[in-house]
Amino acid sequence: MIGYVCKYAPAKVLEVFDKDAVRIDPKIRTDTAESLVHPNMCSFMKAVLEEVLENNIDELVLTNCCDSMRRLYDVLKGKLQFLYMLDLPVKVNNTSNKIFYDEICSLISAYERYSGKEFDMDKFTELLKNHKEKSLPDAELIAVFGARLRPDVIDNIQKRSNIKVQNLTCTATDKYIKLKNLEDQDPILHYAKTLLNSFPCMRMAEERPEFLKDIKIKGIIYNTIKFCDFYSYEYAALKNLDVPTLKIETDYTDTDSGQIKTRVDAFLESLGSRRITGVNKEGKYFAGVDSGSTSTNIVILDNNKNIVSYSIVPTGAMAIDSAKKAYEIALKRAGLEKEDIANVVSTGYGRVGIPFADKQVTEITCHGKGAFYFDKDIRTIIDIGGQDSKVIRLDNEGNVVDFVMNDKCSAGTGKFLEVMARTLEVPIDEMAEVITDSGENIKITSMCTVFAESEVISLIAQNKDKKDIIHALNKAVASKGVVLLDRVGRKGKYMMTGGVAKNKGVVSEIENKIEDKIRIPTEPQIIGALGAAILALGD
Amino acid sequence: MKAIEIYCNFIKKNLDNPSFAKKLINLGIGVAEKYVSYFGDRKVLASHRYLNEICMKYMRESLYNPERSAWVNIFTPTEIFHAMGVFPLFIEAYSSFMSGFFIEDVLIDKAEAAGISNTLCSFHKAFIGAGEYGILQKPKMAVTTSIICDANLNTFRYLAKKYDIPFYIIDVPSKSSENAVEYVKDQLVEIIQMSEDVFSQKFDIDKLGEIVKIENKTNEYRRKYLSYLSTKVCHSIMSFEMFMLFTSHVFMGRPETLKYYQKLLQDIKNAPERSKKGIFFIHLVPMWEPSFQQYFNLGENYDILGSDLNYDFIGKIDTSDPLKGIAEKLIGTTYNGDFAKISSHITKIIDIVKPDGIIQFCHWGCKQSIGTANLYKNILKEKGIPFLIVDGDIMDKRNNQEGQINTRLEAFLEILESR
Ligand code: SF4
Ligand code: SF4
Ligand code: SF4
Repeated sequence: MIGYVCKYAPAKVLEVFDKDAVRIDPKIRTDTAESLVHPNMCSFMKAVLEEVLENNIDELVLTNCCDSMRRLYDVLKGKLQFLYMLDLPVKVNNTSNKIFYDEICSLISAYERYSGKEFDMDKFTELLKNHKEKSLPDAELIAVFGARLRPDVIDNIQKRSNIKVQNLTCTATDKYIKLKNLEDQDPILHYAKTLLNSFPCMRMAEERPEFLKDIKIKGIIYNTIKFCDFYSYEYAALKNLDVPTLKIETDYTDTDSGQIKTRVDAFLESLGSRRITGVNKEGKYFAGVDSGSTSTNIVILDNNKNIVSYSIVPTGAMAIDSAKKAYEIALKRAGLEKEDIANVVSTGYGRVGIPFADKQVTEITCHGKGAFYFDKDIRTIIDIGGQDSKVIRLDNEGNVVDFVMNDKCSAGTGKFLEVMARTLEVPIDEMAEVITDSGENIKITSMCTVFAESEVISLIAQNKDKKDIIHALNKAVASKGVVLLDRVGRKGKYMMTGGVAKNKGVVSEIENKIEDKIRIPTEPQIIGALGAAILALGD
Repeated sequence: MKAIEIYCNFIKKNLDNPSFAKKLINLGIGVAEKYVSYFGDRKVLASHRYLNEICMKYMRESLYNPERSAWVNIFTPTEIFHAMGVFPLFIEAYSSFMSGFFIEDVLIDKAEAAGISNTLCSFHKAFIGAGEYGILQKPKMAVTTSIICDANLNTFRYLAKKYDIPFYIIDVPSKSSENAVEYVKDQLVEIIQMSEDVFSQKFDIDKLGEIVKIENKTNEYRRKYLSYLSTKVCHSIMSFEMFMLFTSHVFMGRPETLKYYQKLLQDIKNAPERSKKGIFFIHLVPMWEPSFQQYFNLGENYDILGSDLNYDFIGKIDTSDPLKGIAEKLIGTTYNGDFAKISSHITKIIDIVKPDGIIQFCHWGCKQSIGTANLYKNILKEKGIPFLIVDGDIMDKRNNQEGQINTRLEAFLEILESR
């Protein structure tokens, strides 16, 4: 078997030597790569390294795509039987075509020398002629764009979407090259040129928008990979266009994680492209369950959209038990039985596991609905919960038009404040007080919970006033929130939801930074559940 | 609060008023010479003082004359610009100066808020952040190279679009061949045509020939300087090692640069014999890190011998066809290629310098360099030279854990002492 990773690798040439020429597509991560390379290399590179070593792939063709790939070559050198680094030009012109052609020819000679097999030109020409050309669909579609995504992940997105989801990352675009017209004398030159002229990735100097103008795009799911330098620029530029865009950041192998699913589903919902099963509207009452990481909240509405009752229960070890408990409390408070509830929609991290829910909707859409219910002028929701934070942009009809979520870690969330309260040995409520600028102006430089904790410990050791430390922590959380906010852009009126909305210190710091007021609902924790209940009612 | 801090805070507060912030930055750089705290120190050599002076001059030239300037990266063949009297502004230097003004944090946050990945190298993030704030002055054009790291193409493309200026990327193939040289040379010709257009000025190839001659002469001094390093040492401070990137790359070919190396050679000839442990750095020197500053800046016990990045090319350029010569230099650049190429050159330098220990500061986001750390470890083990890998961020001070860095550095120095 000959492995390769890049769409510019001359797969057809490799197939002539070995019909088992495969694009390497790692699915799992172990830890072996970290003992061979620095952990801050791109995660895809590390996954390929592991895949190659663990599955004893001993023939590999790489392209000098990026710094990570160049170093992958260095690390693997001497470990495999056949390893070739293909020099891929960044530009497309006559000389670079020649350079790339020469490279493919050198690869062929190198493989001939190594294997003792001769390159069969007839077979190669056959392969080119039999290439099945695909063309991009004509209909409106959701484009998956940016750094590579695994094809099976795209399939999963397709299952949840009611329109075509088109993979335009470098794991698919090779399928759209046109190889049939062998007008050139030399089939290898023809092939080299065709490859080099295919839809450019972001490491190429060619302009990408040119290649996109014929596609009808309804929305873009934009992938970036940690420590990959190529793609976030394009996202930064795209985001100013009119096309709705969702950014996800993945490790390549973790792309099916719950968090990514939530984002994708919410995005599909906002486009009106989520495949949904029907909602039953008989009965009189409607419930929304928000199963979050720290609390489980339930709201019950009557069919006139009035809140009949709600409950907030801390989420225990078993999310289902907490949901059942919250449900019982809410029903009891409303004086209702389970049978009175016509429809239940669940949301939040645990939404999939709720046995009594009829349908699941992401917390993004639900927060949008809930906030809009309270105040039709809300355009931006800042939700800082126990373990994650997000900013949601609504249009003037209450539809979600854009949103961002924080990264995986707990930096800048309720959890962060909780850990710090413990370190400071103050009750969490004390963290929530508004502190005016009287004391010393301390700055917490690290946002990582672990590092910030050690900073706080050293501040305590320096006998700093606890009030000043708390002030600094609230400012730190606020600025993290504002950074997130700036990724969607500022636009009033603002509402803040989630547990941290109860922390007046953080809220006032955010208000200072954005120079605007923020509306805090009386129960900021139930907005998600309220939105779910509204959706259960069928809005 | 010291005057400099007040000034830096003042810049920070005025970032939303780009034209005023620009003025403050320019003024800051204008007077920066006098603020470098080491200047009262008599231990600072004449050559280093001169280095500081010309680096400030080089910065001022581009910042004060944006209509005569171009954005470049550290590997852009600026010989072409020197021949035209165009002032290059290299982004790594600009960002370092912003870090010197303590405003890198807000610039980086600004870039990230615009959607730029936080795992990108902070030199690039800070530059983009300055672009987002609009405090960068609009130059006439931007020229970058595909070497030696991934961020170049896209940072320049992104900002050139934002500023609406002509942009050129030089694609440098990683394998050398006749075609490759021709390919790069053709691109140099294209840059010349573009610059002629942009600056409405004719390019004079003889002038380029002169620049290349100065460059060759400079490299002669550099080779001589290197050969002294195994026995003698000029006490230095880390910022000077970084300032040397001006003279070893972007401002190579300028007469001032030649004069600097002349002075440096003079200084090392008169310098004392090496008696303390000498450290050589791989890639960058963590000039803002307090624990490093404490041990290495004119330190009593340790000397900085240099960093490999300053010696990636010390050879001769063919003067009969300077464009071809420059093309060959670009392709031949140590870091353009695989680790076998890098290490064969760098180990030669190490053999000349004979350091007592080597440190690689693995800068956040710099994959071309950190990807070599484990490979260096293997070859340096064979050579029997103690080697330390420290993780951190040269620019973004928030990314560094002082305690951790300090423990590692001190443990390493203890190892050196026990040898
Ligand atoms: S980014 Fe481009 S060069 Fe890199 S693997 Fe994808 S297609 Fe290949
Ligand atoms: S994900 Fe990015 S950094 Fe990683 S191998 Fe692909 S192009 Fe290179
Ligand atoms: S530090 Fe590394 S990634 Fe950053 S600009 Fe320099 S070479 Fe590129």
